[in-house]
Amino acid sequence: MKKKFFAAAIAAAMTMSLVACGSEPAAEAPAAEAPAAEAPAAEEPAAEEPEAEEPAAEEPAADASAAAGGDLNGDGKIIVGYISKNTVDVFHATLNGAAQERLDALVADGTIDEWTGILDGNTDAAKQCDLAQDCINYPCDYVIILPAESTASDPAVTAMADAGIGVVVVNSATDSTDSAALTFSGSDDVFAGELMGNYVMEQVPEGGVFVHCQGIIGNSAQIQRGEGIANTIEKDSKWTKAADVPCDWDASKAVNTVDDYLAQYGDELKAVICDNDDMSSAAQAECNAKGREDIVCIGVDGNQGPLQMVKDGTLGATVLQDGAGQVNAGIDAIVAAIKGEPVDKNYVVPFVVVTSDNVDEYLN
Amino acid sequence: MSQKSAEVNNKKFYQTDAFRMFMGKYGIGVILVFMIIIIAIMKPRFIYPSNILNVLTQISVNCLIAYGMCLCITTGGIDLSVGPQLALVSVLLGQFIVVQGMNMGLAIILSLLAATFFGFLNGVLVAKFNMAAFVVTLATQLVIRSIAQIISNGQGMSMASQEFKNIYSGTFLGIPYPIWYMIIISIVMYIVMHWTKFGRYVFAVGGNVNAAIASGVNVFWTKTLCYTISGLLAGIAGVIFTSKTGSAQSNIGVAYETDAVAACVLGGTSFAGGIATAPGVLLGAVIIGCIYNGMNFLNIGSYYQYMTKGIIIIFAVLLDMVINKKNR
Repeated sequence: MKKKFFAAAIAAAMTMSLVACGSEPAAEAPAAEAPAAEAPAAEEPAAEEPEAEEPAAEEPAADASAAAGGDLNGDGKIIVGYISKNTVDVFHATLNGAAQERLDALVADGTIDEWTGILDGNTDAAKQCDLAQDCINYPCDYVIILPAESTASDPAVTAMADAGIGVVVVNSATDSTDSAALTFSGSDDVFAGELMGNYVMEQVPEGGVFVHCQGIIGNSAQIQRGEGIANTIEKDSKWTKAADVPCDWDASKAVNTVDDYLAQYGDELKAVICDNDDMSSAAQAECNAKGREDIVCIGVDGNQGPLQMVKDGTLGATVLQDGAGQVNAGIDAIVAAIKGEPVDKNYVVPFVVVTSDNVDEYLN
Repeated sequence: MSQKSAEVNNKKFYQTDAFRMFMGKYGIGVILVFMIIIIAIMKPRFIYPSNILNVLTQISVNCLIAYGMCLCITTGGIDLSVGPQLALVSVLLGQFIVVQGMNMGLAIILSLLAATFFGFLNGVLVAKFNMAAFVVTLATQLVIRSIAQIISNGQGMSMASQEFKNIYSGTFLGIPYPIWYMIIISIVMYIVMHWTKFGRYVFAVGGNVNAAIASGVNVFWTKTLCYTISGLLAGIAGVIFTSKTGSAQSNIGVAYETDAVAACVLGGTSFAGGIATAPGVLLGAVIIGCIYNGMNFLNIGSYYQYMTKGIIIIFAVLLDMVINKKNR
């Protein structure tokens, strides 16, 4: 019997702890006398709570007549969905943050009635297809999607387009983005790879050995940036590629790679090219710690950490992908569509090589 | 003595055997119903038929994996290699259908054979050499993922033929195919687990392996067959997954074992072994699906979603244990 009470008490305590995050205190925890069968009732506030705070915060009386232009599914509301690629990468966190700020503002000024919040795509195309179905059922009028994969995330885009949703593809395109989506806003990853290759060739004209730290194999950004590297530095006879090392976008794996190849090549190793700059900044820090400041490490994204290193002079350069610019261009397109203005099919937001000369423009 | 019989008569409804039997079997279902009611009150669209079909279609992959996982857990093991099995089947389908131009049915059968073989290999390593299932499948997880990458050379491949995509997106009587697969496999798994000799052996091996040996149960084949079935089911899930995304890729299915384990545990599968039910696993998978879909409908921020999921799992299992303490 004691054990039963103990378990019921834990259950009640957990409910309380969750409820504590919200606003109102739940019904007194029935810890002392709750018979087991009553416990399901105690669960209700737990499931209810996180929801309670949101609608209150974001439901100003929207002007229905002004909204009518963008109400694609005719339910009297303009609802925007946001399917993220993931919520953990630094780059995507920045991008999601920019979207959140902007969409909250659009809800506040009545341009749209509601948005779904950041839906977590988990870097999983199948998950994104599920989320697309969720958005169709929600029902959304416009959906912003940041595809995890160019081919595998495509059914998400086409399913939503078939359901009459205005799909805005941001960051990287899927196979039928051109035909199915309202608009695409993003950057050209092959070009980013070429920028990195060219930068390294400029910095170390005499050439040497370089190692390439890859993202998760199969991601379109990994494939296309690799292509850009292949187009430039790999064609230069002064340079030898030690290896393409799969580092899964992971900074600690990039550090291990640097250690491995420093041990193997020593002074011959002149550059580390990484598919993102979480990896390149960590790689550069490792080189610096080993007294090899001369090794040129470069990556793509322009996250705040690497930018700060550029500012401090511990990292030579990083290739900035203007994620906030991409997502804002996408949201601009939705606003234009709601107002009935023409929408461009493509917004190409350029990559920029950030060095100590221009870092102040991009550092928050 | 007379005092005792008086006690029996005064039992409250939740202490009666009938109620306990009911909760023992369907306690998790009660939780599911509560969850659905709560979400539906807050967001009525949650229970529109189109969304219910949507949730059931979404869970098909996880549900199939969970059935295999359930068998492995019931024998006291676990199968962590299911995620890469999806990837292996996916890239094999890409090679067979796109590169070799093979007939679709044949390609699917060959791919399933490969997944089944690796399931069998897991089983042999676990059962024959008595290695810990966690370690074996953790290792084969790496091996299988690597093989998938080698086969595909790390590149994705489009599988956009309508015929192939119909495996996921087609419908029969207005119900999407994936739900039909799930219904069929659920019936088969119910029969296998609860009506066959093999099913009883699985529970016997998991409950008390020495007693099982003493009773003449072939532990080796029982365990091996569990992992083989898990491989096959993961393979079928891989076919559905590949058709869903229309792409053959080696990087899919990462961490899919966690949702499968969660579905098993929610469904009352005991990690101590020997306790599980097939309908429980199905209910567990439906609950996971409702959690994902419901949280999105309720606008729960993505940062809170994992926490919510974790708390619901702990809570549901705790509740199940409290309710069913005396029922098993």
